[in-house]
Amino acid sequence: MIVSYNWLKEFVDFDLTAEELSHRLTMAGLEVDALELLGSEMDSVIVGRLDSVKPHPDADRLTVCQVVTGDETVPVVCGATNHKAGDLVALAQVGTRLPGDFKIKKSKIRGQVSMGMLCSKTELGLAEASEGILILPPNSPLGKPVFDVLGLKDARLEIGLTPNRPDCLSLVGVAREVAAMVNRSLALQHRVPEERGEPCSDSVSIAIEDQDLCPRYGARLIRGVTIGPSPEWMVKKLEAIGLRSINNVVDVTNLVLMELGHPLHAFDYDHMRGGRVVIKRAGEGETFTTLDGQVRVLRSEDLVICDGEGPVALAGIMGGENSEVGPGTCQVLLESAYFNPATVRRTSKRLGMHTEASHRFERGADVNMVPIALDRAAALIMEVAGGTVAQGMIDCYPQPLVERRIVLKLSRVNGVLGLNLNANEVRSLLQSIGLGVQQGEQSETVSVLIPTFRPDLEREIDLIEEVARLHGYDKIPVTMPTSQMICHRPEPAQRYARQIRNTMVGGGFSEIVNYSFIASEWDRLLLDADDQRRHTVRILNPLTEEQSVMRSSLVPSMLETVARNRAYRSTDLRLFELRPVFQPQDGELLPHESLRLCAAISGRREPLCWARAEEFVDFYDLKGQLERLFAGLQLTKVSWEARHSDSFYHPGKSCTVGLASGSVGTLGEVHPQVLKNFSIDQPVFIMDLDLSAVFAEAGVGRPFQAISRFPDICRDSALLVDEEVDAGRVFSVIEEVRGATVEDFTLFDLYRGAGIPQGKKSLAIRVRYRSAEKTLTDEEISAAHERIIAALRKRVGAEIR
Amino acid sequence: MREQLAELLEQGRSALMAADTADALQQARVALLGKKGSMTGIMKGMGRMTAEERPVIGALANKIKVELEALFEERAAIVQQQEMQQRLASERIDVTLPGRTHARGSKHPVTLVTEEICDIFASLGFGVEEGPEVEQDFYNFEALNMPKDHPARDMQDTFYINDDVVLRTHTSPVQIRAMLKHAPPVRVIAPGTVYRRDSDITHTPMFHQIEGFLVDRHITFGDLKGVLTTFITQFFGKNVGVRFRPSFFPFTEPSAEVDIQCVICGGSGCRVCKKSGWLEILGSGMIDPEVFKSVNYDSEKYSGFAFGMGIERIAMLKYGVNDLRLFFENDVRFLQQF
Repeated sequence: MIVSYNWLKEFVDFDLTAEELSHRLTMAGLEVDALELLGSEMDSVIVGRLDSVKPHPDADRLTVCQVVTGDETVPVVCGATNHKAGDLVALAQVGTRLPGDFKIKKSKIRGQVSMGMLCSKTELGLAEASEGILILPPNSPLGKPVFDVLGLKDARLEIGLTPNRPDCLSLVGVAREVAAMVNRSLALQHRVPEERGEPCSDSVSIAIEDQDLCPRYGARLIRGVTIGPSPEWMVKKLEAIGLRSINNVVDVTNLVLMELGHPLHAFDYDHMRGGRVVIKRAGEGETFTTLDGQVRVLRSEDLVICDGEGPVALAGIMGGENSEVGPGTCQVLLESAYFNPATVRRTSKRLGMHTEASHRFERGADVNMVPIALDRAAALIMEVAGGTVAQGMIDCYPQPLVERRIVLKLSRVNGVLGLNLNANEVRSLLQSIGLGVQQGEQSETVSVLIPTFRPDLEREIDLIEEVARLHGYDKIPVTMPTSQMICHRPEPAQRYARQIRNTMVGGGFSEIVNYSFIASEWDRLLLDADDQRRHTVRILNPLTEEQSVMRSSLVPSMLETVARNRAYRSTDLRLFELRPVFQPQDGELLPHESLRLCAAISGRREPLCWARAEEFVDFYDLKGQLERLFAGLQLTKVSWEARHSDSFYHPGKSCTVGLASGSVGTLGEVHPQVLKNFSIDQPVFIMDLDLSAVFAEAGVGRPFQAISRFPDICRDSALLVDEEVDAGRVFSVIEEVRGATVEDFTLFDLYRGAGIPQGKKSLAIRVRYRSAEKTLTDEEISAAHERIIAALRKRVGAEIR
Repeated sequence: MREQLAELLEQGRSALMAADTADALQQARVALLGKKGSMTGIMKGMGRMTAEERPVIGALANKIKVELEALFEERAAIVQQQEMQQRLASERIDVTLPGRTHARGSKHPVTLVTEEICDIFASLGFGVEEGPEVEQDFYNFEALNMPKDHPARDMQDTFYINDDVVLRTHTSPVQIRAMLKHAPPVRVIAPGTVYRRDSDITHTPMFHQIEGFLVDRHITFGDLKGVLTTFITQFFGKNVGVRFRPSFFPFTEPSAEVDIQCVICGGSGCRVCKKSGWLEILGSGMIDPEVFKSVNYDSEKYSGFAFGMGIERIAMLKYGVNDLRLFFENDVRFLQQF
C-alpha cells in the first residue's frame, strides 16, 4: 500500500516529519518498506526577486536580470518576455538538475555571465506546456525552495502490509492509525451528493440472488457525464501514490478505492441490457470477456454481476468488456458492494487475476463503507465529469451484519503481555483506533464492540495484540521465563551427525549443501532399469525440470559439484555432504527420509609442497578416511567386500561396506563412463553411506584392555602369495591362529616386481608379541610365529622369502 | 723419577689445554695415560727404585694421574660445549619454507551458524528436535492456523507433492509435531531445511531455518523479549541494539518482527539495511490459541512463545557474504573460507 504524506494530512492533523511518520508506522506494525521524498530534488530552485531587467547588449531576444535571493544578487540571462523588475521568479541555481537531466551550469551567454536559470512551469516539470517563466505570488519568501512555497512537496510511503490488516489498504485506514499515534481524531465524513432528476430506481432494478456471496449491493446512476481527462489536482494525487490517470470517471473510482479502501466499479449504463442488475453464481462453463480482453471460462462457484442478459462483471475482481466506461459513455452506473472474501479469493486465484479490488475483497472489505464510498464517488464524478446524480441510492442489504462484541479479561491481557494495565488504560488504547468501548468503572473485563472495518478482530487474543501494539512493544518489560527444568539432551543421531562432520572436516573435507531436488536423470549414473533409486518423489509444480524430483541419492549432486569445481579450475577436491534422501513408501503419505553421507576425493593427495613428492589420491585414501570415521564411532566389525552393487563404480575398484547388520554403503572409484557423463576429466573416488544403519551400531565399542608392563618383540616375515590372494584372507588366517601372545600385526609392505615371480606378490607382515604376565622368551616367540607361518603356508600357499 | 713425573704433569697440562677438539683431547689423554703412554713409560722405571722410594713415587704418580684425569674431564666438558656451539652455529634451516600441511576441511557456513545457534539455545535448556522435509499440509499449514484458502498462504509459495503433501515452507511444523509428542513444559529448537517456490537474486528455492518455542505456565511476551534479546546479544555481541515491532503470522499472536541494529553500518543507514539502520532477523510471537487447540494444549493454563529465523540471512550478516546463491554453488573457494 502506497500512501502520500500530504493526502494523509487531509484525514488527520499531525506534526510528524515524513521520517518520523515512517518510523512510527513501522513500530506500529505498518512496516514502511520505502520512503520517497517528492520534490526535494528541486530544493535548489529558490524564490528570487528581479532587481533589474535590462536588454542583453549583444542579443535582441535576451535580457540580463539581476536576481536578489536574500543574501546575494546574481546575474542571469533570460530569454523570456513575460518578466519585469520586481517580479518574484523561480531561480534554478548553479548545480540544479532539472527534469530531463538538464544540469544548470555557470555560463557566459554572448559575453554576459549567467549564474542560473529562471524557470518556466514546463522546465520544473509542473506542466506539459507553458508560456514564459513562472511568476510567483507577490508575498513568496526570498531564498525559499519554490516547491515548498507552492506546496508541491510530498512524501510517498510504501507500506508492506500484513494480510491481517485489510483496513489499512486505504489512506483513511492508515490515517486512523496515525490519529491513534498522535492522539487526534480522524476526519472522515459521509456527505450525500446533491440528487436531481428521475430516481435511480426508475432506470435500474437490482436483485441479489445469492445473498451468501453478496450480502450488500449498492448503486447510483449518474446521468450526462462527459468522459475526458481528469483535472490536474486529481492526476497529481494519483501520481503521488504511483497511479496513472486514465479518464475522469475511472480515476474517481481509483481515487475512492485508495482513499476509502472500498473497490467500486463504473458501468456504462447504456450498455447494460434490460435496466437490470442481478448478482448470482455464474453458469458452469459460461464464458465472459473481462475488460482486459481475456475470455474467461466461469464455474458455478464464481459470482458474477449480470445485466438483463448475461454477465457484465466478475464480482469483486474485474468488469466486463461489454459494459466498460469509454469515451462515449454518458450515463454511469456506479457499483459499491460487499462480496464474500472466500468466493473472491477462489475465483481470482483460479483465474490468476489479482486486482486491487480482489486484493481487498478477499482480505475483507468494510460492509459499512458501501454507501459512504458510493456517495463520495458520485459527488466526485459530478465534480470532474459533470452530469447529475439521479435521486436515491439503491442499497440492497437484506440482512445487515451485526457488529461483533468481544469481552476482554484484564488478567489475560496482563498475563500474556507481562504488563499491569487497568481497565481504563486498555479502553483508551482500543478506543484510539475506533473500537467501541465505553470508559467507566475499573473492572476485571472490558467489553469491546468491533467495527466492521476490522474483520481481523475476532477473538480475545486479537484484541490483546492490539493492546500490545498500541501500548508499544518497546514498553513491555524484558523478563526471563521461570520454567521447570527438563533434560533435553540431543538424540544420539544428532550427536553422531555432528561428530561425523567434525571427523570429515578434520580429514580435510569441505562440507557442501546441494538442493534436495534434482533432475530425474539416472542413465548418466548407469543405474539399472529396476534400481529403486529411479523411484522418486516428484514435485507437482517444480521451478524447472532440473529440480523436479526429490533426490533419492546424494551421488548425482556430488558429481555435479565435482564437475563445477573442476570447471572453476580447482583440482584437489575433498568434499562431503550429510543430508537426507527421499524415497516413496508404499501405503504411506510421506516418503521415507534417511540421512546419508556422501564424500568424494579427487586430485592430489596432499597440497602441492616442496617437501614431498606429488601424489594423487586413490581408493585407499578414502577408505582410510572411512576407517577413521568408523573408529571414532567405535565401530569395530567392519567388512569390505569387492562385491559391488552400484553400477556407477569401476567394477574392479569398488566395494560394499558392511557392519554387523549388513551392508551400509559403498566405496570406490567412479566408473570412467560416468565421469564422462558428468564431464569430469580426472579420477574421482566416492563413498555413499546410509547413516541410520551406521548410527544403529555406533558407540558400543570394545571394553578397556589392560596395558602390559612387559616388553614387546616383533617378528617380520615377507610372504610370497599368488596375486589372487587378497590381503584380507591373510589377515583372517592370522586372526584365527594368533593365540594370546600376539598383540597386533601390521602389513607394512606390499611389493611386486624385480625378484618376485610373475603372478605373485610379496606381503611383508610385522607381528608384535607381548604377554601380560611375563617377558616372553625367544623360544616361545619363535614357536608362536612358526604356528602363524605354517597356517599361512597351508591355507593361502604362502612361501617365506 | 720425581723430575720426570713433574715434567709429565707439566707437559700433560699443556697438552690437554692445547687440545681443542674431542678427538685431539682423547689422543692427548691416550699419549699421557694410555697403555703405551708416557705415564706407563715412566712407571717402567719403578723396578729400579728402592723399597722405601717405591710407595712414595707410586703415590706421587697416582696423584698426578688423578690430576690429569680431572683436567681431562674438565677440558672434555668445555670442548664438547665448544664443539656443540660450533655445530649449532653452522647449522641453519630456512624457517620461511612452508610446512607440510594437509588439506584444510570446513563445515558449510549454514552448518556453522546452525550449530552455534543450537548451542546458545541448548545452554538455555532448549532441546533439538527435527522433522520431515516432505511434510503433510496439515502440519505445515492447517495446524498452524492456515486453513486452505487463507490469504496468509500467499506469503509462502509452496512446492506440492500432492494435495495433502508439500515440501515444508518453514520449520514451524516441527513445533506441531513436538507439541503432539511432549506435554508442557517444552523448550525446543528445531533447525531444518525448508523450501519455497521462489528463485531470484535474494531467494533460493531451498534454504534453512531455525524454529524455537517454549511453552509453560505464565509465559509472557516479556519472556519472549528476554530470551530473544539474550540470544541476539550472545550471537551478535552485547552492544547490538534490538527492537521488537508488531507483525503478523497466522500461528502467533501477538506477533513480533525482531530487528537488530545494522551490523554493517552500526545503525547509521547503508545499502544492506536499506538506509533504515535496522535489519530484520527474526519472526516471533506468542503461540496462537488456535495452534494450542490443534495440539490439545489448554490455552487457559499454558502460554508460550515461538520464533523462527533464516540461517542463510544470519550467516550472510555474520560473515559479510553478499550473494545468497553462493551458499548452494559449493565452490571450494567459497567453502574453504569458513
